[in-house]
Amino acid sequence: MLSERLQLKLYLEPSEHFEIEALIPVFHRFIRDRVLEELMIDVVDYSHVPDGPGVVLIGHGADFYVGALDGQYGLVYSRKRGGPGPDGRLQDALRRLINAARLLEQESALKLRFKSGELSLRLTDRLRAPNDDATFADTQAEVLSVFGRIYGGEIAALRSSASKGPLELRIKASTSPTLEALLEKLGGPPDVAS
Amino acid sequence: MTVATTWKQKLAGQVREDWAREIDIFETQIELRKKGKVEEKLFAETRLRRGTYGQRYDNGQRHDGEKTQSLPFPSGELTKGPVTMWDAPGMQRIKIPYGKLSAEQLETLSELAEEYSDQILHITTRQDIQLHFIHIEDTPDLMRRLAAAGITTREACGNTVRNVTACPYAGVCSTESFDVIPYANALAFFLLGHPDTQDFGRKFKVAFSGCKDEPCGLTNFHDAGAIARTRTVNGEVKRGFEYYVGGGLGAVPYPATLFDEFLPEEELFPITQAVCRVFARLGERENRARARLKFVVKKLGIEEFKRLVLEERAKLRPDERWVSFLSDLHVTDEKPLKPGSELAPGSYPKGFDAWRRTNVQAQSQKGYSTAKVTLPLGDFTPAQGRLMAELARRFTGDSMRLTVEQNLLFRWVSNADLPAFYQLLVQAGLGMAGADHITDVTSCPGTDTCKLGISSSRGLATELHKQLSVVADQLDPAAQGLHIKCSGCSNSCGQHHVADMGFLGVSRNMNGRRVPHFQLVIGGQYKNNGGSYGLAIGAIPSKQVPKAVKTLTDRFVAEKLDGESFQAFVARIGKKEIRKLVDQLSVIPSYEQDPSYYSDWGDPREYTIGDLGVGECAGEVVPQVQVGLADSERELFEAQLLLDEGSSDSAAARAFSAMVLAAKALTREKNSFLGEGVDEIVSEFRAHYYDTKLFFDPFSGGKFAHYFFRAYEHRAEATASKDSAHQLIEEAQLFVEAAHQCYTRIAGALP
Repeated sequence: MLSERLQLKLYLEPSEHFEIEALIPVFHRFIRDRVLEELMIDVVDYSHVPDGPGVVLIGHGADFYVGALDGQYGLVYSRKRGGPGPDGRLQDALRRLINAARLLEQESALKLRFKSGELSLRLTDRLRAPNDDATFADTQAEVLSVFGRIYGGEIAALRSSASKGPLELRIKASTSPTLEALLEKLGGPPDVAS
Repeated sequence: MTVATTWKQKLAGQVREDWAREIDIFETQIELRKKGKVEEKLFAETRLRRGTYGQRYDNGQRHDGEKTQSLPFPSGELTKGPVTMWDAPGMQRIKIPYGKLSAEQLETLSELAEEYSDQILHITTRQDIQLHFIHIEDTPDLMRRLAAAGITTREACGNTVRNVTACPYAGVCSTESFDVIPYANALAFFLLGHPDTQDFGRKFKVAFSGCKDEPCGLTNFHDAGAIARTRTVNGEVKRGFEYYVGGGLGAVPYPATLFDEFLPEEELFPITQAVCRVFARLGERENRARARLKFVVKKLGIEEFKRLVLEERAKLRPDERWVSFLSDLHVTDEKPLKPGSELAPGSYPKGFDAWRRTNVQAQSQKGYSTAKVTLPLGDFTPAQGRLMAELARRFTGDSMRLTVEQNLLFRWVSNADLPAFYQLLVQAGLGMAGADHITDVTSCPGTDTCKLGISSSRGLATELHKQLSVVADQLDPAAQGLHIKCSGCSNSCGQHHVADMGFLGVSRNMNGRRVPHFQLVIGGQYKNNGGSYGLAIGAIPSKQVPKAVKTLTDRFVAEKLDGESFQAFVARIGKKEIRKLVDQLSVIPSYEQDPSYYSDWGDPREYTIGDLGVGECAGEVVPQVQVGLADSERELFEAQLLLDEGSSDSAAARAFSAMVLAAKALTREKNSFLGEGVDEIVSEFRAHYYDTKLFFDPFSGGKFAHYFFRAYEHRAEATASKDSAHQLIEEAQLFVEAAHQCYTRIAGALP
């Protein structure tokens, strides 16, 4: 995948108990206790923006969002810079996303449950990954390969880009492994930043 | 065909040559700085002139509620300015002259927010767009992409002419003398990069308004403010401007002073150029706190300042650009997409009537309306940006304005299209009513991202919006029309001085812990281009502010006279009454009873440092200091009351006395034998707190102590005018605040 910038999203099960503001103290604690493997810097609350990024955990190389930018709540891993080379980018992003989702599910106060088999991928780099048929074909092939290997079963990856938006694919796996099982297949949690 | 691998290649030929060259140079400077070949201060000034700012925590330190932790950025010790780490995320300010955006520009901005920022575009109180959490190395490409869309970030910050703002209704407004946009547009680009605007000691802001009575242009607090005027000479209507200079908010707000009641249109550019030259020559260089034009005008007096400007004007080499734009004043005209029409009677979408009441305004052109999109805190997403661009193309003929109330205004909506327009907004989550009303709270970035923020202005604004929205429909119309504005610190980016209820972030020590507060600022006037400034009544714990707003609003509704404005109401009942409310709300539960008061809105980290250590000496002394500081605040309040009564001399004397009390309270800690004499207090304060820099804070240095010393030097002067007493009260307020901060530091509660 040529695009260094990508956003991988795992969707939340709908829940009447979900309160987005509850993420704020959790993300602050993630920074304080250096829970995640990357350098995290700040927490921003955009919950006042309808269909917005929600609550954002800002990092140096990547951000995490719990929001509804596409109208549906989920956790987004947004790689901004750095990370592995083109061949390992997608799998690396999936690993970090699943790890963060697992950590959030473990926060009992949040009462979050993710749909492990429903994701979306956005390539936020219009130079290297323009929203065109060629990029879609390349990306779809890579998604089918990586997700097929990790999830097993059938994978569907369909184009869902909005007009003038970045290239976006909606991904559905026929299986719904647990987050722990997925993380195991992905090589376990990444090393925590020192 | 060669595939472009960089934005520079991809956009070759699409960017103005001079802008492209500037960005290339900036990119080179980034590389040189990385190699250590450009000094950090020089690089900082360079990037600031291109609108590339630092952000909170960019010193590589972050307090997590318990302790300060280092942020181990990968580039190590490399900096992009003094105490500003290279890798720390920063803010990119993008100046949008008079807030005018095309659909293509809005789409480009949306792409940039999507790719380089945090999925949010933020509208500022000066019609700019800001993107946050940007890496310095992404900025050259970001600037190229903007330049290809006809936007430059040049001089969006730094000691330069900042964004030229103007009334968003200009050209479609029924109260304007004429459309000021061709003038604002031409002047913005005339001053951009002009040799006479490159050597200021501080920034310079220009604003235009089409009329005097409405608030839209807010010319009263700009360095140069131009209000459209016409004059009939020999039967011919001549255009000109009521021209003001030396206004400004900031820590101590100054109203602008009338320079010329009718500056002919052909003199607008040369006079502004001459003002810039005088400012560059006589403006303060060493002391940033007194470097704005307002201090030059104040020091010289308007007559002398005007004499110098006219003398400078006479020496200027003629420039054809002064008048060439006058030959085609229609160059900025907008062509509506559709003919004007009437809104057909019938059943409208749910919520349409309420939205229309607050967000729609008839244009001076029959059959058209402006429609405002309410954007809470001025934030919107890239997808919403693209939708609004599409709406502009589909309904208006590509005409949008960013507003200083942090909303987005569409112009030339044919009236019959309003329901369909509204419905599409609703589908994108943008159909909120209440634009520029009580629920639409203005806020600067505050502690969310700003390095100078003391309290969470955005957190407070969000909470007020949330609570007020629940009751907005039931509020009396007079209350619905109130304006609330929040600033995170005394720099006034939230423009709290001109709100009905303004809030200014401060902090206080209570029960041995630090507690976020907001000063309640009452009595400001929004109309008349921000006609007068309010004064602080007292500090309220942040978590009590919504109660203060509710109590004040309820009382206004219950007791106001027919047609009485909030400003007049406050003047009638007196600030003593308001102060009673502040005093009631200043009491909070202990930390053990309710710790929520000890953190800020939207931020659960404890505002107080957990390991607060109170030494033996401090344990004894701190309460005495606190009592003394409370005395100084009371004295300050008395000064305000005297000012309201018209006793300017007494008010000024009382303001100085408040400063003395605060200085005495602090100095007693260092010299327990301190006497009561003012000379001794000043001298001892200087020795113990100023010379040692103990009174200095990281951002303002010793500027607040300078206020005290200056007041001391001038204390014997015979009379104070209303304005000078007002100013002294503002300065005393800041000095007392600084004393609070100093006390917190010496008590060990601040890093």
